Amino acid sequence: MHKIEIEAQIDLLSENKRLAEKNREFLRKKGIKAINIMGAIGSGKTLLIEKTIDSLPEIKFGVILGDVICRADFERVRKHDARVEPINTGKECHLDAHLISHVIEGFDGVDIILIENVGNLVCPVDFDLGEDYRVVMVSVTEGDDVVEKHPEIFRLADVIIINKISLADAVEADIDKMERDARRINGRALILKTDLRDGRGLNDWLNFVRRLKQK
Amino acid sequence: MSFASVIVENALRIAEENKAKKVKSLTVVVGELLLINPDQLEFCFNVASHGTILENSKLNIEVAKADISCVNCGKKYDEVVYLCDECGGFVSVKGGKEMILSKIEIEN
Ligand SMILES: Nc1nc2c(ncn2[C@@H]2O[C@H](COP(=O)(O)OP(=O)(O)OP(=O)(O)O)[C@@H](O)[C@H]2O)c(=O)[nH]1
Ligand SMILES: [Mg+2]
Ligand SMILES: [Zn+2]
Ligand SMILES: [Zn+2]
Repeated sequence: MHKIEIEAQIDLLSENKRLAEKNREFLRKKGIKAINIMGAIGSGKTLLIEKTIDSLPEIKFGVILGDVICRADFERVRKHDARVEPINTGKECHLDAHLISHVIEGFDGVDIILIENVGNLVCPVDFDLGEDYRVVMVSVTEGDDVVEKHPEIFRLADVIIINKISLADAVEADIDKMERDARRINGRALILKTDLRDGRGLNDWLNFVRRLKQK
Repeated sequence: MSFASVIVENALRIAEENKAKKVKSLTVVVGELLLINPDQLEFCFNVASHGTILENSKLNIEVAKADISCVNCGKKYDEVVYLCDECGGFVSVKGGKEMILSKIEIEN
């Protein structure tokens, strides 16, 4: 019996990177923009998608809903005017480029794909899906220290949404602190403060989406 | 869990290519910004390697630090910030996100 030591030097994350680039290339050729919406559980990701579809009928949306198991979000969003595909991730707490690749092939003719990632602020960050933009959504009800506790996901975001601002007083959350924390970690992201129930800030988000279609 | 299965898959492939009967140990380099808890990774690895030639092998985990420093004055940071609090320059973040199977020790 021999003992052998092998210098492997294998990049274990390269497979996802390769597949993400493939997705990106596919979408670019089709002229489709993709937005990866990450965020805390219950922060309002699905409601954002519903409002976006309803408010922008001139844009054809495809929607991918990643969830650990349940189809509740799918049942909600399918009532709206968009192509909707659920992806159950099972035990995994994030979507990956491979899961997405099967679904985007069926989205011929859409302008923008909205992807709802699995609700958590840790795992999705390391899995590029091939998206053009990364959105991170939190709400004041997670506590106003939620941004500083998860710097990595906010650092890599293009848009940061602080949602449910009408509830800030009730939960004693300091919205300005959340915005300051976001700015300290990420100086180039678009930071939006919204309330999807009373509609505040929604238009700023819709303007961002409208501009994507024109690009 | 997915990180552990990626380690197991790749290690098994290399072990088989080298006609291993048994794997003694593996070394994995994990970037600190991946926020992996080594204890948990080891536990998941033990579960995922069960029943394979990786079973009972030793998983060595080396944490690689990210280089977070001001591009203007060079001040180093331990946490992710965007602007330097010394000089206001941009802070760049390099590395810290890799996961590399660097070594594998087998018996054949
Ligand atoms: N008051 C208030 N409630 C909101 C707002 N946005 C979302 N909600 C409510 O918060 C709950 C969760 O919203 P969802 O859109 O399901 O959140 P989600 O991020 O998709 O949740 P998961 O998919 O479970 O992670 C629902 O009851 C929404 O109606 C808001 O801006 N203000
Ligand atoms: Mg949802
Ligand atoms: Zn996780
Ligand atoms: Zn500096």
